[in-house]
Amino acid sequence: MNWKNIKLIFIKELVGTVRDKRTIIAMIIIPLIFYPLLFMGIGYFNQMGNEKSEEAISKIIIIGAEFSPPLVKYFQNNPKIEILSIPNNPLLKLQKGEVQLILIIPSDFKDRIEEGESGPLILKYDATETKSRIAQKRINQAIAEYEKEIISQRLSMMHLKEEFIRPLILQTENVASPQKVTGSLLGVLLPYLIVILIFVGAMHTAVDITAGEKERGTITTLLVSQINRLEIVLGKCFAVMLISFISMVLGLIGLTLAFLSGTSIMGGIEGVEFGISFSTIFLLFLVLLPLVGLASAVLIMVGIFARNIKEASSYITPIYMLTIFLGVISISQGIELSGKMFLVPVLNSSFVFKEILMGKIYWSHIITTFSANMVIATLALLGATRLFTKEEVLFRS
Amino acid sequence: MIQVAGLTKIFNDKKRGKIVAVNNLKFNCREGQIFGLLGPNGAGKTTTLRILATMMLPTKGEVIINGFDVVKDANKVRRQIGFLSSETGLYDRFTPRETIKFFGRINGMEDKIIEKKMAEIFHNLDMEDFQEVRVHKLSTGMKQKLSIARCIIHDPPILILDEPTLGLDIITARTVTEYVKRFREQGKCIIYSTHLMREAERLCDVIAIIHQGNLIAQGRLEELKKNSSSEDLEEIFFELITQGENLE
Repeated sequence: MNWKNIKLIFIKELVGTVRDKRTIIAMIIIPLIFYPLLFMGIGYFNQMGNEKSEEAISKIIIIGAEFSPPLVKYFQNNPKIEILSIPNNPLLKLQKGEVQLILIIPSDFKDRIEEGESGPLILKYDATETKSRIAQKRINQAIAEYEKEIISQRLSMMHLKEEFIRPLILQTENVASPQKVTGSLLGVLLPYLIVILIFVGAMHTAVDITAGEKERGTITTLLVSQINRLEIVLGKCFAVMLISFISMVLGLIGLTLAFLSGTSIMGGIEGVEFGISFSTIFLLFLVLLPLVGLASAVLIMVGIFARNIKEASSYITPIYMLTIFLGVISISQGIELSGKMFLVPVLNSSFVFKEILMGKIYWSHIITTFSANMVIATLALLGATRLFTKEEVLFRS
Repeated sequence: MIQVAGLTKIFNDKKRGKIVAVNNLKFNCREGQIFGLLGPNGAGKTTTLRILATMMLPTKGEVIINGFDVVKDANKVRRQIGFLSSETGLYDRFTPRETIKFFGRINGMEDKIIEKKMAEIFHNLDMEDFQEVRVHKLSTGMKQKLSIARCIIHDPPILILDEPTLGLDIITARTVTEYVKRFREQGKCIIYSTHLMREAERLCDVIAIIHQGNLIAQGRLEELKKNSSSEDLEEIFFELITQGENLE
């Protein structure tokens, strides 16, 4: 094996890929420009919709207002609530969206309150309408204030303090470090995103430089040169690994920008500090590298086996689905892998990522994951090299 | 320079069973000679040349290229050959200069020598004007010149050319055959497959006619003519095929 030859193939594939406009669009324009713009757009319209709904005045109908003037007064004091006179068919008006809420006060309400009992109230609203939900929130708030007033009146009548009905004081403290809070938030989605971005990043290049070379007839020129099959496969695999890694990093930067630009418009998220220590990054790399190698090697093997790009794409689709499936498992909360499960590629990496991000370092998991993925990547590379020597694969038509 | 003896290639096809693509071929090719493999489509020309170029293994028989066995010394054989077929493509996103440099390097040449050799080839093939233009912008003729340049950059003593004029217009095809003649003058051993009788007639010193994997005649054009009732290669060809089929 000659490293000089591997380097020649590696550079040739990189130059070819970089000169392909599709790569630039997929690697740079989509993640760095399209994602943030998309999220910004979504954030902007969401925000605009929310603001409009918050500003709007809630039109409500009260049936039986005369049975509880103090409660109605709470509504009247809120400038965002407008009480309409009772129409012929109030329910129809609510369904049509002309009013946002109907409150029914029964005739015995006042008596029940005065006698120290519970006064029933019926609130009707449309949960599918934002404006109606906001009206419900406003009315609930007013009702809660009125309820508080009644309670304090009842307590003072019996010469009791408010503490009488609140005998316990519970103080809750969260002991998770800021890193762990960040980690647990990142740990939910990040492993899945990394797995998908690596795979998608590797896919185009891997197919283009294997099945694509077969389709264009350039592979023969390599095979009759003095470079050997293993050198060709390794050079190609390293190129795919680098492209896949770069597109993953760019994808993550793009998604972070998108997330920040999207949420900053919606008011940001509280309590999360972005910041990962160097040792965490090092460990992440240790898990990342074999995963990138594995994805690249498997895709290259499939690409060499396929007759053309179209065939390669149809072979890759089920592999991609399986990858998504294994990645999605890591999103589910509460699932813990047993020791042997760390031998399953993709699944192992996404779980170890999750652990590392949460600050839980289990060396046995890291080593198992690293070795299992490395072994499979090596086998795939050897398989790819072997396929290159098989005439029925090279000259299938 | 090329010695082929008892060369047989059998494919196992799932549907059609065993297919004898090449059957017991025997021929030799010297330096400074163009050896023509003539036959219709599917005669076994491409399979034979793929075996000679180390891309396929023979089922039986022996192929020695400049002293090296294609099975045992495949890597050494590759050093001796330049391979060109209608299927060998070029990298669209590279310029001719980059292409030739790359192939020079993967054939173990030093940059200085590549530069010198490349300048010479570009001059001879009249490629200087488009050496910095990316391949996807080149015409078919320009591309074929580049393919020739690619296959001779490492100065191989043997050229294996599998229907190199297939799909080319007559002007480009003529350019290719002119260069093949030049390579003969340089003393290279050239094995040239074609299904065009006229091309074989004009170009080849020795012609081997193959049909359904079998070698049915071999010799200089004059010898083939002498053994036949016709003067025309096409007529000779059909005569031989009919004789062969009658024998069966």
